[in-house]
Parts: sequence; C-alpha cells; structure tokens
Amino acid sequence: MFAENRKISLRQVRRLLILDIFGWSSLMIPGMLSSMTGADGIFCLLFGMAGGMILLWLMKKNLQYTQKNYYDYMKDMVGQIPGDLFMVFYFLYFVTLCGFVLYQTTVLVLTWLLPEGSYVWVSFLLLALAAYGTLRGIEGRARIYEILFWFLGIPLLVMLFLALQEVRTDYWTPIVSSGKTELIQGSISFLIFLLPLTAILFLKPFCRKSEKLADCGKWALILVTFMDLIIYLILLGVFGKNTLGVLRRPVITLMGMVNLPGGFFTRQDVVMTGVWFFALFALLHTGIFQSTLILKEMFQEAGNRYSMCISLFLAGMAGIGFFHNTFLLEVYEIYQTWIVLPGMIGILVILLLAHQIKARGRNRKGEDASCGKNIS
Amino acid sequence: MPVLVTKDLKENIQQFETLFSDCADIKKRKIKVGQKLEQECYIAYIEVALSSTDWKDSAVGKFLQTLRDLPEEDLVSYVEQNVEDISDSQPFETIEDAAQGMLTGDALFFLNGYDKALKIPDKGYPGRGVYETESEKVIRGSNEGFSESVKLNTALIRKRLRSPHVKVKESFAGRRTHTNVDLVYMKDLIHPGMLEEIEKRLGEFEIDGALDSGIIEQLTEKRKYSPFPQFQTTQRPDRAAMAILEGRIVLLSDNSPVALILPATYNTFIQTSDDYYSRWEIASFTRMLRYLASFLAMTFPGLYLAMTNFHTQILPTDLLLSLAAARQGVPFPAVVEVILMELAFELLREAGVRLPGANGNTIGIVGGLIIGQAAVDANIVSPIVVIVVALTALCSFAVPNEEFATAFRILKFFFILLCGSLGFFGFLVGILAVLIHLSHLESFGIPYLAPFVGADLNGYRDERDTFLRLPLDFLKKRPVYTREGARTRLKWKK
Repeated sequence: MFAENRKISLRQVRRLLILDIFGWSSLMIPGMLSSMTGADGIFCLLFGMAGGMILLWLMKKNLQYTQKNYYDYMKDMVGQIPGDLFMVFYFLYFVTLCGFVLYQTTVLVLTWLLPEGSYVWVSFLLLALAAYGTLRGIEGRARIYEILFWFLGIPLLVMLFLALQEVRTDYWTPIVSSGKTELIQGSISFLIFLLPLTAILFLKPFCRKSEKLADCGKWALILVTFMDLIIYLILLGVFGKNTLGVLRRPVITLMGMVNLPGGFFTRQDVVMTGVWFFALFALLHTGIFQSTLILKEMFQEAGNRYSMCISLFLAGMAGIGFFHNTFLLEVYEIYQTWIVLPGMIGILVILLLAHQIKARGRNRKGEDASCGKNIS
Repeated sequence: MPVLVTKDLKENIQQFETLFSDCADIKKRKIKVGQKLEQECYIAYIEVALSSTDWKDSAVGKFLQTLRDLPEEDLVSYVEQNVEDISDSQPFETIEDAAQGMLTGDALFFLNGYDKALKIPDKGYPGRGVYETESEKVIRGSNEGFSESVKLNTALIRKRLRSPHVKVKESFAGRRTHTNVDLVYMKDLIHPGMLEEIEKRLGEFEIDGALDSGIIEQLTEKRKYSPFPQFQTTQRPDRAAMAILEGRIVLLSDNSPVALILPATYNTFIQTSDDYYSRWEIASFTRMLRYLASFLAMTFPGLYLAMTNFHTQILPTDLLLSLAAARQGVPFPAVVEVILMELAFELLREAGVRLPGANGNTIGIVGGLIIGQAAVDANIVSPIVVIVVALTALCSFAVPNEEFATAFRILKFFFILLCGSLGFFGFLVGILAVLIHLSHLESFGIPYLAPFVGADLNGYRDERDTFLRLPLDFLKKRPVYTREGARTRLKWKK
C-alpha cells in the first residue's frame, strides 16, 4: 500500500531537524553565550550559522555522490576499514549525544516537573519511550514531530510575544565589546549544537525527494538560528548579561515570569517545559534511531532489535555517567569541540577529495582509452 | 461429497429430508401440479420467510398457479426454459447448495423429472425495515439508518449513488452462519490495492459464526492490541455513501446495522455527515470542539490530578484555596476519588445502556443527580471531582463515533494513573506514548494521523478538511484514499 513505502516527506525531515536542533540549543546556548560574550552572542549565533551553512554545503556535495546509502558511499570512497572507522565515529557521536540529551531531559524533568523523582526511573521511562518509537522505523518517528510541530510552535511564539513587554533594550548594550577568542568560542559552541544536522547524511534512502535533503537542513538551520536569536535577545533584555550567564535554563525561567492576559494561570513554566521536553525527546529519539541504524548497517542485522538494545544500553549508561560525574560533562565538551567537530568536517572533506581523485582517475582512464582507440 | 439433485423426486425428497430432519421451522409440502394435477412437486421453505397469508399473490404462489395451468408433459420443459423469467430464481445442482439457498430465506422447489432444485425468492427473513438511527444523530440531513438486512442496506446506498460505477462484491463469512458480506465501492475511485487487501484479509480466517460486522472488524484488523478502531463504523447510509464518494470501501454484513468503512483515520472519526450539509463556519467550529473533546475525554481527569497534586503553582491562589476547601473532609486521596467517580460513572453508563429505554434515562438522572449529590453531601467526593468527571463524560459523548470514543474512555484511566503518580511529567509521557502509537498506526496503508501527517501525498489539500472545514469551494479534490487521477470532486461549469 502506498503509505507503507517507508519514505518520509521533506516537510517531515524539515520539522524533525528543526525540533532536533532547536530544543537543546535554545535551552543551553543563551546562558553559555551570555557568560562568554554578552550582547555579542548574536554575532556568535550568526557566525555559527555561517559555519553550519559550510557544513551543510559539504554534506550536500557528498549527498550528491551518494548512490544507495552513506555507509556504502564511504566504503566506495575510502575503502572498507576507513569506512567502518568513520561509521564508528558517527556511532559514538550519536550514542554519546543520546546520553547527554537523556541527562539534560531527565534533569529538566527533575528540576521543573518531578523534584522528588528518581533519575534512573525517569531515564528508564524516556529510553523505553524512545525504544517504542524507534521499533517501527523512521516513518512513525517523522510523523510524531510533524504533528507536534505547531502544537509546540504556537504556544512558544505566543509566550515569546508576551515576554516582549518585559524586555529592557538597554541590556542589549554594550555591543562589539568581546574579544576574538570569545567570539570564536561562542560561534563554535553554537556550531556544535547544529551538528545533529549530520543525520541527513543517513536519511537519503528514507526520503521521498532526497536530492533536497540539504535544503531542508538549510531551512532548519536558518529558522532555528532566527528563533535562537529572538530568544537570546529577549532573555538578554529581561535578565541582563550577568544574570543570564548564571541561569541554567533561562528560557524556562522566562516562561515562569510571563503573565498571560486574564490571569487564570499564574505560572506557565511547568506547562511550557513540555515544549522543551518534546524537543529534547525528539533529539534523543534521533540519536537512538541513528545509532541503531549505524549498527544495523555495519552488522547487517535483519531487524533492529539488537542494534537498538546496544544503543539504548550505551546511551543509558552515558546518561547515568553524566549525572553522577560532572567531570564527564567537561570531557564531553572537550570531545565535542576537539574531536567531533573537526572529525565531522574532516570526514566530509576526505570523502569529497576521495571522490575527486576517483573521478579524475576515471576521466584519465577514459582519455587513455579514447587515445588508444584513436591510435589504433 | 455433494449429493446431486436427480430426476427422481422421491430420492431428492429423501436426501433433503435427511438433511433437514428435526427442523420444525422448515416447512415441506408435496403439491400436485399440471392440468390434471397428476405431476408431483415439492416445496420447502422456512416458516416465516414465506408469505403464508397471501400465498396466491406471492412469487411462489403465482409460479405454482402457472404450473397448474400447463399439461403434465410440458411441465419440465417449461421450467427448464423459463427458469430465468421467474424473478431472481436460481437453479442448484446439488442438495447442499439448494439447502444453502433455502437458508437465505427463499423457497426451494423440486419437480419430478427435473434434475435441479429451484430457489424462488419471496419476502425472506423478517427484518426491521428502515428506521431512524439511534446514534450519529444529525441536525440537518437524512435520518434513515441501516437495518439488519444486507440487501436493504446495499439498496439504501444504491439509492444515494445511482451510478453503474458502484460495485457490490458479495462473499460469505462464517462456516455455520454463511453470513453475507458485501463490499460496496466506486470502481473508478478506489485504489485497487485496497480492495485486494480487504478481500485477502476476509479470506484469511474461517470462523464458525460471523453474527455481526464487529466480528469481521476484529478479525481483519492488523493491530489487534490497539485501543483505536481501524475501521470506521456507521449506521447512516448517507455517511457510507459519502465515504464511497471519497474512494473508500464500505463493508456490510448481514444481520448487522453497522457498516464498516475503510480506511479510517483520526480525522474521519471526528467528521460527521452534517459537517458537509451545514455552513462551513459552524461546521468548523463544531469540528474544533470535537477535536478538543476527544483530547479532554482522555486527559482531563489526569490534568486535574497533575495540577492539584503536583503543580499547584500554575493555578491562581483563589482558585487553589477554593479547590482545597472543596476537598475538606474527603477521606480519600484525590487519585482514588477520581478513579472511584470515573468507575461509578462507567457503571451508570453501562446500566443505562442495558436497561430498557425509559429505565435507562431514569438511571442517568438517578445516578447523575441523586447519587452524585448524595456523595458530595456525605463528603465521599468533592464537588470539583464531580464537575471534572461530568465534563469528561460530556467530552466523550461529543466524539461522534462510539467505538472511537471508547478508546479515549480506556486511555483516560491510563492518564489518571500516570498523572496521579508522575504529575505533568506523567501527562507528557502519556501524550508521547499515545502519539507514538498513533503515528505507527495505519488503516489499510493510510496513516491514522493523516492528513496531519503525510499530507504531501495529496499536495497538502486534505488539510483543508481537518480542524477547519473550509468552504466546499476549497474542497475540489477528493482525499488521498481516492485513486490518483480521479480526485476531482467539484468543478465549476463555465
């Protein structure tokens, strides 16, 4: 039947990517940028977006040359063992991302919704839900976020609009006062939050118009940067640089301060936590799906149960590790900055170069053959 | 091994009577025919299925009268040559087939020297006729409802869709009941794969009896553990006709006034017939109300528990104080109180359904007003919980399809437990679990959440008939269930 072709639409990809990168970036980036660069954080967001565009360009080029799937493409370009190594790199990225997002989501739940809850039980529940969502493939997953998109987007836009009245524009100054190092650091931080976009590299076999995948990523990137920019300016205008720098999840704190007209609900932070809960869960779900997919392709598993169980176990362990040992969070930051980001860019560049070299080799062979024909 | 009908009437009678021995309801008569009344024939029929009072005016009576006017030697040749002229008659070559033919409610005729048994239709089994539907009431539109006769039901659809493209495929379900199952569809509108799929599913099981379409529904559903129905049900011929015009298939089962429509989506369950008969503004408003009702029917008691037990900071102080004052003296925790009241309500509902009409209404009044008030006065429950339960019940009644509303009634308890133990987090987990389930659910290949998801398959046009029912002018195309290339529903003449 026509709905069972396991292909997802571009709108579904776009919405999935938007929720993936919006949730954790809007939750964490404002505090980070404010402490690093103050009002200049807006430039970091723009520079980060520019970096994201370059990354997307690299992905687009590679996607153009991908025939069947990304794993086969990597093996074709650089051989079996390097291809496998690259897959392990991506697997580690996605599985640790899951662990980190699981930690963030659980802490969000324990802070705002269930202060007396157990970290392990909440994490377990979230992983169980992610497993349930992953079991039946990408189509169901894409549908969840396609439908959630406006249910989350509209309340958020309304709340941000209502928050505008609290903004003090003098908090937006001084501008252009940060050093180059801080700006670069801030931009790289935002760029790291955009890295889940690399999931599109693996989506080619699942998407109906796969030639436009990179464009979906582009629109997701632009929209999320725009939203993050607005949220950042509002937060900066409400809290000021110093307070914003010390708040852990300032956007949810802001939601608790916004007054709805009519005054029936006095605080919306609990309800609005739902927006970030779903958005973070989308990223957790993406991480589990991607790591499962990678394992499944590498080990050529017929179903996905074993791959999924391994991914869930590792993500759960990572999540518990982040909770019990804050040192691991610092290690994760270093890993993201010094290994993941350069690694992601490096792999894409290597694959492109390998493709160029192979293409030249083929052209040369073709020329030699035609020369031989002419001589004979 | 089937027994063939022979030219020897005595042998046929013996075979037939052996088959139907000890069947007091089967009437068997030997009758003399021919001008001299020397030739013997045999008639068998189910007692009330044949007109006994106006025997002469019935098809069987007229047929016998004709045979009495013919010479004996011409009888067999007359019957052989004029079989097709006797209205809707059918010859059978075996005793078993003939018996099955009689059991559909018609008379069976054997003639000495004629090696076939002839089925002659008469009034058939007793039925209710066309009555007003008890559910799916509309403010505007036809009030005719389906009855228990599949033939009558197909005729009610045919009455509305007078097109040769409307096809009726007949099959049988039930080894012992031989229930007629008709698939009604518009040949040029349906996806052929969908028809193949339902025919395949109908052929996949063998059950002793299919007494209602509900049995066929459960046996042909793919996701058997889902609380959500994967067939839409209706008792309204106009709703069925509307579905056929959308390229969907209607399954009618004999002895059941409930038709099954496939495929079904969340959106189709929320739609009603008069959504299209009324102006778009009110249709859209009521549609949105129904969507909201379907959500609240599942979540409202849970949300109440989450807000009052876990997140009191959401509510204004005055409201919070009045809620607390209302609960003063109630001995149970709020979650127990809500579960008790919900169970009491479900009991009342069940009692109201089982009792005869007037008594059922009385139970509603006695339960709702008297017991509710007494429970509040006795401090067993707080008034606010009575309001919550009553509003939830109202919401579930506002969902236009009973089977669909049942899913929310069951999930309501799941939400009560989740929210009662985990607060708003439980609510979010519940919503996510239901959403994941619904996003995986499909009805004959169509996503259950269509057209909110996968709307690109029909150029996003199906979204015009969801929360809002845009003016008919905007609904020029049929939904995605219709075969591609046949989706134009409305066009203006120049």
